[in-house]
Amino acid sequence: VTHRIVALAAALAVAAAPATTARAEGEAPAPPALSLGEADILGSIGAFHVESVTTRVTSFDQFGHGYQAQGGRTAVDPGSERATIFEPQLEVDATQGSRIKHRVLVPIDVVTNASADAIDLVTSASRHVESGAIDWTTTYKLDAASEATVAAGLHLENPFRSWHGGLGISHAFADGDTVLSATFLEAFDWFDRFDIHGGRHGRTDRSSTTGSVGLTQIVTPTTLVNLNYGVTIQRGELGNTWNSVPLTTFDRGPEDLPGERVRHALVGRLAQFLPWNGALHLYYRLYADDWGLVAHTGEIELLQRLAPIVYIGAVYRLHTQTGVDFFSVRADPGAARRTADSDLAPFEAHTLGGRIAFDVSMTSGGPRALHLEVGYDRYFRTNDLQINVVTCATGFRF
Amino acid sequence: VRARVAALLAFALVAGCATVPQNRRAHFADPMMSLTGEPLDAARRQKLYDTREGAAGGDGAPAGGGCGCQ
Repeated sequence: VTHRIVALAAALAVAAAPATTARAEGEAPAPPALSLGEADILGSIGAFHVESVTTRVTSFDQFGHGYQAQGGRTAVDPGSERATIFEPQLEVDATQGSRIKHRVLVPIDVVTNASADAIDLVTSASRHVESGAIDWTTTYKLDAASEATVAAGLHLENPFRSWHGGLGISHAFADGDTVLSATFLEAFDWFDRFDIHGGRHGRTDRSSTTGSVGLTQIVTPTTLVNLNYGVTIQRGELGNTWNSVPLTTFDRGPEDLPGERVRHALVGRLAQFLPWNGALHLYYRLYADDWGLVAHTGEIELLQRLAPIVYIGAVYRLHTQTGVDFFSVRADPGAARRTADSDLAPFEAHTLGGRIAFDVSMTSGGPRALHLEVGYDRYFRTNDLQINVVTCATGFRF
Repeated sequence: VRARVAALLAFALVAGCATVPQNRRAHFADPMMSLTGEPLDAARRQKLYDTREGAAGGDGAPAGGGCGCQ
């Protein structure tokens, strides 16, 4: 890399010097004395080649009630969390020569009854929200065993802007059996501040800094494991500003959250190829933060290939969490910290899902493979929230 | 918990001493063996859980960002 940078700098210097002189003297620019080929300067940086294009459309149909929501039968009863979300996504994977890979993700959300659990009962500010995001990740192969990654993205939404950027590095040992990785990610959110009556009060922000390390290990010719630990530090306005809290005085007050949150997560994954042409995936995640929330998440997924071009999958996920220390469905008006957000309450959440996927080789000109997938998930919680998720994907490999 | 984590790490490191030859890794090329799944599917799942549960962040994904409900 150093050699190429030096060569590039030398070529630019040599090329720029005569041009500058010629401009100063009013003469036609002379050709550079030293001419390096593109391959000498750019090395393996080559033409842009699209490897795959995938689209996915997902719909979320949500029902339930939460104490942070207004509009219940009385001022202190839970209100509706009804929402429908339509989410088209686009992914483009491309290579640029032999060393550079790009991945671009573009999710778009069309939300109706957005924030049904909040200010839409008193204002229609976000009853219908369209949001879009772009996330661009570039991976550069430093050598046969190491890669560096740069990621950047932004999210645009009516009352909300978010930017994030990150760096990552990975190194493979033992002929690729073991891969160590580290990532750093910074996100900055900037959004409107509302009160619980729908009044707008300028803007507020928060930042999120995440660092993580991971280890991926080939254990046997059919077993792959991954361990990951990460910490996220958030500062700023950590709520959405319009959540309300039922009070002991039988009315409602605003949510009051700390201005900082430190979140730790330890994740283990295992993929096991099964002799009958299937695969087993196990996932476990331990989470803890300084708001007092501890969560355990386990997931098991079984995949079975029915034919060379088709496989099916079934997944079950269990998530249990304690609530944050200051969660209350009837808070003291003088409480320093309080929230009634159902997402921060103690609960169990279950997901049951299934999918079928087709990978069809194409021999004629154009894409060399077609990927089709249809799936359904049912998400339900013990504190009155249910979501039906239908998803459909189409992908082309070139 | 710490002992279990240490044991798991030790297992992974010890396992790393026995290299699996390249020509015996064919199963890992099967899409069914992807540890994190297809990226768009993983993204939409992560977004669902991050915005509906209080336990986002820490494992390489941004906490916050997006819908503003973290």
